[in-house]
Amino acid sequence: MDPSEVEFLAEKEAVKIIPNFSLDKIYLIGVSWLTATCRQRQKCRIVPPEWMDVGKLRRQVGRKTFTPVPSPYYMELTKLLLSHASDNIPKADEIRTLVKDIWDTRIAKLRLSADSFISQQEAHAKLDNLTLMELNTTRSFLLDTLNCMYKLPQDH
Amino acid sequence: METQSYLPVPPGVGMEENFLSLDDILLSHERLPSRTECTFPRLGFLEKSSDSRDIQEGTKMEMPLFLAKGLYERKRRVVSVELPKVYKEGWRTVFNADPTVVDLHKMGPYYYGLGSQLLHFDSPENPEIAQAVLQTFIGRFRRTMDSSQNAYNEDTSALVERLDYLERALFKAGQSGLNSFQNWERGRASTITASSLVLNYRKRKITDLQP
Repeated sequence: MDPSEVEFLAEKEAVKIIPNFSLDKIYLIGVSWLTATCRQRQKCRIVPPEWMDVGKLRRQVGRKTFTPVPSPYYMELTKLLLSHASDNIPKADEIRTLVKDIWDTRIAKLRLSADSFISQQEAHAKLDNLTLMELNTTRSFLLDTLNCMYKLPQDH
Repeated sequence: METQSYLPVPPGVGMEENFLSLDDILLSHERLPSRTECTFPRLGFLEKSSDSRDIQEGTKMEMPLFLAKGLYERKRRVVSVELPKVYKEGWRTVFNADPTVVDLHKMGPYYYGLGSQLLHFDSPENPEIAQAVLQTFIGRFRRTMDSSQNAYNEDTSALVERLDYLERALFKAGQSGLNSFQNWERGRASTITASSLVLNYRKRKITDLQP
């Protein structure tokens, strides 16, 4: 799977906006791709989602195990919102660094568990709270390795 | 999106070989020390060291894998294959001790492939060979994973040179995953770039036009 495909799936997530124009109805919730377009045309302001807050993210970085993610698409949403609307979001740079830290920690843990999975030759592993993007980066490598591991020692 | 107009056939893993895979074809050219169990009449010209007309029974020669596999039969009438030294007891203990140190490219760039194909020849050490190959793979896996996932935009030739071809294919898969993720993160995933074929063609055309 391509990262662009994962991003496409992520864009279905709802994000709050405050539109600058008025229509007959005032929509206060938009879908990510729609809000990105609106923002580019300067028609609205984006309200950052509740989890995108420096304090909350800092607490998230400190945790050791695979905790529930702030949002199943946190990586993609961060990238989209920060690239289009960084002035609407307070402390954008800090948020970017914190999200990157969370990502790095989770990926490192994922690799550690993949390594112990393979070195003990388990047939089955369970890992909760993984996001699609993280899975996607390791998918082809892990599947190929498991294929090799399964087929190499077979004797007739 | 990565679409290729030409998808190469991957090598078969384990005891099968893919007939159309270039890697497997190259693998089958690896030579194995073997011993003939019966005379091959009038084929003496193949054996340069002796002058006789036939190849005598009991001659030791080196045969490529495809030939040995074709001639081998369970009743052992035609050829018997000896294990190359990388798969023998001595080297197996080395691999057991520390698999990451060995330069697998030098040991025969198709260590895993040849090891799996050797299992066809019914040697009494087959289970140990299979185990050794598997344990080496598992031992080296961690290093391959780390190096493939952490080397972005660097020259990877130093990392790759001690790996055998199977590990290189895995390394490439890991690198491509990493590269596509980094590309996406920098926002370059949706930029349209000219295809390298078009660029090369255009270059050649301009030099043609200029006198």
